[in-house]
Amino acid sequence: MSFDLQLIVESLPVMLMGIGITFKLLVISGVLGLLLAICLLLMRISGLWYLNIPAQIYIYVFRGTPILVQIFIVYYGLPQFESVRESIFWPILREPTGCAILALSLNTGAYVSEILRGGVLGVDKGVLEAGSALGMSAHQKFIYITTPIATRLALPAYSNDVISLLKSTALASTITIADMTGIARTIVADTYAPYEIFISLAVVYMIFTFGLQKLFGIIEGYLGQYTKRE
Amino acid sequence: MDVLAGWWDDYFWGAVVVGKVFFCSLALMIIFGLLGAMAKLSNSRVAQKIAGAYTVVFRGTPEILVVLLLYFGSAVVLTAIAQVFNPEIKFVDVPPFWAGTIAISIIVGSYATETFRGAFLGVHPGSIEAARALGMSDLQTFVYVRIPEMWRLALPPFGNHMLSLVKDTALISIIGLNETMFVAKQAITVTGKPFTMYIVVGAIYLGFSTVVTLFVMGAEKFGERTTVGAK
Amino acid sequence: MSIPENRPLIQMQNVNKFFGDFQALKNVNLEVRKGERIVVCGPSGSGKSTMIRCINRLEEHTDGHIVIDGNTLTDKVKDINAVRREVGMVFQNFNLFPHMTIVKNLMIAQQLVRNTSKNDARETAMFYLERVKIPEQAQKYPIQLSGGQQQRVAIARALCMKPEIMLFDEPTSALDPEMINEVLEVMVDLAKEGMTMICVTHEMGFARSVADRIIFMDLGEIVEEAAPEEFFDNPKSERTKKFLSQILSH
Repeated sequence: MSFDLQLIVESLPVMLMGIGITFKLLVISGVLGLLLAICLLLMRISGLWYLNIPAQIYIYVFRGTPILVQIFIVYYGLPQFESVRESIFWPILREPTGCAILALSLNTGAYVSEILRGGVLGVDKGVLEAGSALGMSAHQKFIYITTPIATRLALPAYSNDVISLLKSTALASTITIADMTGIARTIVADTYAPYEIFISLAVVYMIFTFGLQKLFGIIEGYLGQYTKRE
Repeated sequence: MDVLAGWWDDYFWGAVVVGKVFFCSLALMIIFGLLGAMAKLSNSRVAQKIAGAYTVVFRGTPEILVVLLLYFGSAVVLTAIAQVFNPEIKFVDVPPFWAGTIAISIIVGSYATETFRGAFLGVHPGSIEAARALGMSDLQTFVYVRIPEMWRLALPPFGNHMLSLVKDTALISIIGLNETMFVAKQAITVTGKPFTMYIVVGAIYLGFSTVVTLFVMGAEKFGERTTVGAK
Repeated sequence: MSIPENRPLIQMQNVNKFFGDFQALKNVNLEVRKGERIVVCGPSGSGKSTMIRCINRLEEHTDGHIVIDGNTLTDKVKDINAVRREVGMVFQNFNLFPHMTIVKNLMIAQQLVRNTSKNDARETAMFYLERVKIPEQAQKYPIQLSGGQQQRVAIARALCMKPEIMLFDEPTSALDPEMINEVLEVMVDLAKEGMTMICVTHEMGFARSVADRIIFMDLGEIVEEAAPEEFFDNPKSERTKKFLSQILSH
């Protein structure tokens, strides 16, 4: 049994054709998820029980169930309902890509909201008190003090979540999407060469991951300027 | 709801499979994690490099890919080996249970490596010194001083690893494991109610997650009973 | 030293504060007139910090009345903000905004709370930075300054809001010994100019030279109040005597 380099050379370009879809899934789900996370965060810290409790339940359910199940519920499950099939969202929900983005966004939103909340809780209470003493309103404190500091605190955990999101995009292949993993599985089915294909694909993901880590490292360095004593 | 009648049995056995995967992968995950952590903390540069590669590779690769690779890859290897002995054999199958369990153990084990490593480093050097000064052997120090302090430090992130194991089990359905997702698939072809069936799957997994979370909370309380207030 | 006027700026009447079952303040009655310099001392847990934190509503008093310059302190945001505009606070741990430059630290509240223009805010900021003798640090971040410098910035930040009253909550307790004086000097200057101030501190030298009145608190109550000479030379209560012997022996 030999390692067929020729096969890798031929297959990589084909698999990389899926990188556009992978990227699209990552970015759109990432952005939508972040927006959702901010909403959930505000609900959690609002102090109002009728916002806090539903947010907690949402987060609990979406963090407690496998992302694959969530994807299947959206893609295979929603069409069960006539109201869904007749709604204005149907064109999106009929397509696997739309479903994948929806499921990934809902999922990452739950995780990121907890990460953001961790950042918010990490802001030094004394600094907030100084803001109060100076007469700043709760609103002003949240925008000018909490948000900048919490963002920096949340960044390392957030970067981990983005990497998780990248890995979750591979699950889109289970609902017929031709992302990199989807293409790879097709090739493996044809060639019976799982090692060459999957390992080379794994390397592609690892490079992608490495790139994301470097990117976040730069952002962390920029945001963390005020923490360096020099 | 009556559409589910008759499927509860199958779901139950599917849930049992999830439980089995959990316990097997938990044991393996702890082993991989401890080996990785000890390799990283050891003095051998080779061991450190290997453990380093282990964490980088499996934290940067999609879980589904590892599952697929292990499943199809081991089938290819075993078939090749079997064909050496008996050229008639066309294909040797690997049970999805083991391919999947080992795959998720390896993956989560790479995260556990970092967790255990951090926890070992977090043990107060003073406690170790005291043990040495009292004449305890390395093994005794490890068992009576390091481990007790270390598992308490590792517990919160370790709880998350256990939850990952629970949820990653769903991935193994892709390679044919007869757990709840698989049951749902069959139920759908008969009942035509995909939403209902997958919601049940979600509820079962949520149940497992809840049990694990409660267990971790209990373990944290247990760990605290001798340390809270002692500071 | 300027002479205090007769106008009461702070009035605390029968103030009690409970944290759950624990009573932090017992029937506190305090009147501070404009221009008075008050030093509050006492053992830890005596309620001194709690008392001054009630004045700018960082703590809520459980019962009693607090009136600041005619404004009664209630739950209403309007009332609280009216009070906080008049009262400046300096914290033990400085609490500078870590993510803003020094000058921005001094400008932000002016812009947000008083709607001051950026240029005016900057002018005021630089004025007070020079008052506390560190104008060259304007573009630095708090982490790059020493403790003493940070505390002086904190004082300048409070002064930029042109408060009627300054509250100091153990301003030098978190400082290394060699930096205490630079901060006390600023506070003495402020006192000389007639700023109404309440200072919770253990610095008895400062108290003796600057205070119009020294208040000794213990277990949530005001035990004794007197002018410095009387307080130090002729303490009336046993508890006061005990406290003085403990802190003045070194």
